[in-house]
Amino acid sequence: MTSAISVTDAAKIYGTGDAAVTALAGVTASFEQGKFTAIMGPSGSGKSTLLHCLAGLDSLDRGDVLLGDVELGALSDKDLTLVRREKIGFIFQAFNLIPTLTAKENILLPLSIAGHTADPDWYDEVVHAVGLEDRLGHRPSELSGGEQQRVAAARALVSRPDIVFADEPSGNLDSKSGAELLAFMRTAVDDFGQTIVMVTHDAFAASHADRVIFLDDGQIIAELMDPTSEQILDKMKQLGD
Amino acid sequence: MLKVAWSSIRANKVRLLLTSFAIVIGVSFVAGSFVFTDTISTRFDRLFSDISAGVDVYVQPVQPDFGTDFGPIQLSMPESVFDDVMAVDGVADAEAGVGGTAQLVGKDGEVVGGFGPPTLGFSWSEDPDMTPLRIAPENGRPPQAAGEIAIDVATARDKDYQLGDMVGVITTGPVEEFTLVGIANFGDEDNVAGATLVIFEFEEAQRMFGLEGRISQISVAADPGVTSEDLAGRIGAVVPDGVEAITAAQSTADQTAELQEGLSFLTIGLLVFAIIAVFVGSFVIYNTFRIIVAQRTRELALLRAIGATGGQVTRMVVLEALIIAFVSSLIGILGGIVLSQLLAAALSAGGLGFPDGPLTLLPRTVIVGILVGVVVTVVASVLPARRAARIPPVAAMRADLSATPRKDLRTRAIVGVIVVGFGGSLVLVGLFTSISNGLVLLGVGAGLAFLGVSILAPLAARPFALFVGWPIRKAFTVAGDLAVQNTRRQPRRTASTASALMIGVALVVFVAIFGASIKVSIGNTVGEIFPADISASSTNFTSGVSPQFTDELRMLPEIEQVTTLNSPQVRFQELQMDATGSAIEPATSEGMIFTGATPEAITKLAATDGLLVLEEIEGTDLLLGETYTIEFPNGVTGPVEVVGVFTDGNFGDFIITRDRYATGVEVLTDQLVLANASQGVSVDEAAAAADALTADYPNVQVQTKSELVADAESQIDGLLAIFTGLLALAIIIAILGITNTLALSIIERTREIGLLRAIGMSRRQLRRMVRWESVIIAVFGAMLGMVTGAVLGWIVVLALRDEGLGDFAIPVGQLITLILVAGIAGVVAAIYPAWKASRLNILDAIAYE
Ligand SMILES: Nc1ncnc2c1ncn2[C@@H]1O[C@H](COP(=O)(O)OP(=O)(O)OP(=O)(O)O)[C@@H](O)[C@H]1O
Ligand SMILES: [Mg+2]
Repeated sequence: MTSAISVTDAAKIYGTGDAAVTALAGVTASFEQGKFTAIMGPSGSGKSTLLHCLAGLDSLDRGDVLLGDVELGALSDKDLTLVRREKIGFIFQAFNLIPTLTAKENILLPLSIAGHTADPDWYDEVVHAVGLEDRLGHRPSELSGGEQQRVAAARALVSRPDIVFADEPSGNLDSKSGAELLAFMRTAVDDFGQTIVMVTHDAFAASHADRVIFLDDGQIIAELMDPTSEQILDKMKQLGD
Repeated sequence: MLKVAWSSIRANKVRLLLTSFAIVIGVSFVAGSFVFTDTISTRFDRLFSDISAGVDVYVQPVQPDFGTDFGPIQLSMPESVFDDVMAVDGVADAEAGVGGTAQLVGKDGEVVGGFGPPTLGFSWSEDPDMTPLRIAPENGRPPQAAGEIAIDVATARDKDYQLGDMVGVITTGPVEEFTLVGIANFGDEDNVAGATLVIFEFEEAQRMFGLEGRISQISVAADPGVTSEDLAGRIGAVVPDGVEAITAAQSTADQTAELQEGLSFLTIGLLVFAIIAVFVGSFVIYNTFRIIVAQRTRELALLRAIGATGGQVTRMVVLEALIIAFVSSLIGILGGIVLSQLLAAALSAGGLGFPDGPLTLLPRTVIVGILVGVVVTVVASVLPARRAARIPPVAAMRADLSATPRKDLRTRAIVGVIVVGFGGSLVLVGLFTSISNGLVLLGVGAGLAFLGVSILAPLAARPFALFVGWPIRKAFTVAGDLAVQNTRRQPRRTASTASALMIGVALVVFVAIFGASIKVSIGNTVGEIFPADISASSTNFTSGVSPQFTDELRMLPEIEQVTTLNSPQVRFQELQMDATGSAIEPATSEGMIFTGATPEAITKLAATDGLLVLEEIEGTDLLLGETYTIEFPNGVTGPVEVVGVFTDGNFGDFIITRDRYATGVEVLTDQLVLANASQGVSVDEAAAAADALTADYPNVQVQTKSELVADAESQIDGLLAIFTGLLALAIIIAILGITNTLALSIIERTREIGLLRAIGMSRRQLRRMVRWESVIIAVFGAMLGMVTGAVLGWIVVLALRDEGLGDFAIPVGQLITLILVAGIAGVVAAIYPAWKASRLNILDAIAYE
């Protein structure tokens, strides 16, 4: 197995003195290429922090992130921007799109920023996969929440990043829209060999993943492979006690 | 509510600072003009009363209530008045003085002063109680004989005169040499108001001013127990007609009032710029509050949801505006004090000295300053505040606030066109009414026109952004694209931000067009009405060309024909009408001065010593063939018959002969002397010959026709530069408005920017995006301003065709420069917002609350 991204002994502390909050307390993990990994845990357990550090949006106080053979901690802001541009895709919980641009323009935005042109076949394939062929000329305000998230997903994939990070991508969606989005993410992994790391609270969402990592108090406390919703719920109950 | 308003102010320091900048500037100008005039007035008032400390009553010729457009008129009275005064019971002592305009010639041969501060000459007063002049023992002695003078300390120091030097002095004739025997202080001051003082012995003064046997003023001290009022009354009863006795206090008040009037052009100028600054500023304020309200929609809706009424929300926003207004007005008043000091310093540097003394800050200044700031801010924030009140409570629950309902564009278009039309008509009405109201109407009309254009501007914003944005999108794909989209996103915001700039640019363009047109017109006019080869005139305002010079000029073999032109002011007694006209020499004016009068009319003018009337007012004001009594400012009256007409309004309402004009002045000097080169002599040779004469008349300058035109043009250029400089302030305010809008938009788009950064946009690209957005807004504003200013200029120039300003000229080069400057200004305006955008913390930006 080749790891797309790995993190060793990651620690992150917010604030100082009495107000110090340990968001990450020594996390070591590796995310396999072409696999779909979910990160779960109670609120405040450090999920988003871990994701941000993996994605080069935030820096660690201790430990290293290795994206392929690049050590993120050693990079300047400029190089990090380039890494994000070329190697990473994002799906956030909300506000994923630029309101002034159409769906199509939003999808192509990372490529435009990089000054690249899209591979038309790949673009068609992605658009087809998210089922947005007939909504491409619309602006975000004219799209439903589910459609907006799918546009975001298409955008994350269109530049063929090494890895896609998603922070509760279905958190704001109803169960049907959420299921559609997750199904697409699964497809991306299965059919296109995409690597995805997703933070979620939702056992059903996590059940789409190949592997689930459980975080608490900034540490990995458990792990499940190819889980079902029931297994995940059981695990959560067990950990909650 | 106060608490909410206050916390909002504290949370938005930077944007409020930028908002308040406009108020600060406006109030500074208002307060500055007040502080300046008050301070100057108080100091001079004190100085004047110091001067007259030992004097109770002044006896002097009555100053006319007309004809003083070009400064006070030098008047005199017979010496015999002195004896009349001495004979009055209650007069302890009296001293006669003679005064007039006297200019020193510097060691470089140049005349000293003459443009700003007065150049005064007068007789030495023997009684130290009657004069503020003091000569310290080490500074020599008073002038006691012909050929001696004393001058003031400051002038001696500045011009490096030593006791015993020979100093050239000009009054009405050629320059004369005097021995400097004394250097005098004016009270404790080295100088008064930057004036140059030349002091002669009494009879020498009479000779120099051409006032043999006459005096200018008598200073009178009262016997103990006799009040000044009383004594003034007693003296007033015995002096001849045309002479008055006033108390020293009255004299001080009169002089101060006169000074204030002299400074009024400055005060009015400052106030006009204050109004412009405040007007432009109000756009910035309006915009800021609109954006703030839009950004706080959720918060305000929440307030509504928990039970605040719409009125309370409105009051809260207005309250916020009030607090800002109050604070910035106070800062503005401080700014005004600084401004007044700077102004005084600038004028001092320009040779216009002011007496020392404390600063005068009247309660009126503070009240008006705060009032201006508060009223403008509140007016500008009322609309956004009302909008805030209309936010429905459910908006608190709505996730997406970006989609604002589209307003009816047609209503906007109609309202805009009506306002522009109304403003335009006011401008036209203003142009065709009497001058004093006309200018106000013109200003209000222009203001309305600007308002109307700003109402219409949102309609043009989207297409314009596409149009201007096209090359930007081509060249800077993503950043350019996003920039163009951003300016199109909220056309009203883009438009009102650009509108502030529009006003400043429109005014600059208007002034430029007006100036260019005046220049063309002057060139044409001078060429047409003064076809003479060369002209001679005084280098300054305070003196004229000596008739002796003119006589010498006539004798030159290089010169063929010489004539003079003056502009007398007279009163037509029967009509109680004051008018300005021209005085010519009919015998020599032919072929030199074209007034549009027939040769017969000119002949008749010469034969009857009558008067020609401007054709336009013949029949309405003055009737052909009628005889009127005209009065000159010196009180001389005489009958004059209207014997003909002339047509060119450049010469005023009437034309009389120079001989008659000479009766109306104490000493005749000419304002303009025109001459032609003799046959076979080149213009330059003739000019050189004439110029050689000026060695004895250093205050006379000889110019060829083209030099005269160039001179007039460069004077206009100078004025234009000053106006443009001041208008630049309005543009700076507008640019800060762009900065403000962009900074606020950045805050509003925090999340969007975070997203762009997260998916790989570099800081540079982000900055570029903001920069282009700014440039588009700035160029949009500049173009709007250009069109508005050009139309305004065109209307005004066209309307003033009758005043000899018919040649509409567009300074193309200047306009192109202006657009470029606007673009650069856009880049500058974007520096802060772009920096801010590129520094946004990505994580904060994408955090989901
Ligand atoms: N910018 C910050 N400053 C201070 N503390 C922070 C900051 N960001 C996160 N924290 C703290 O770090 C801890 C981990 O936060 P994180 O956002 O990673 O949790 P999470 O697992 O994503 O929670 P949730 O499920 O609620 O999103 C929390 O205790 C949080 O309060
Ligand atoms: Mg989180």
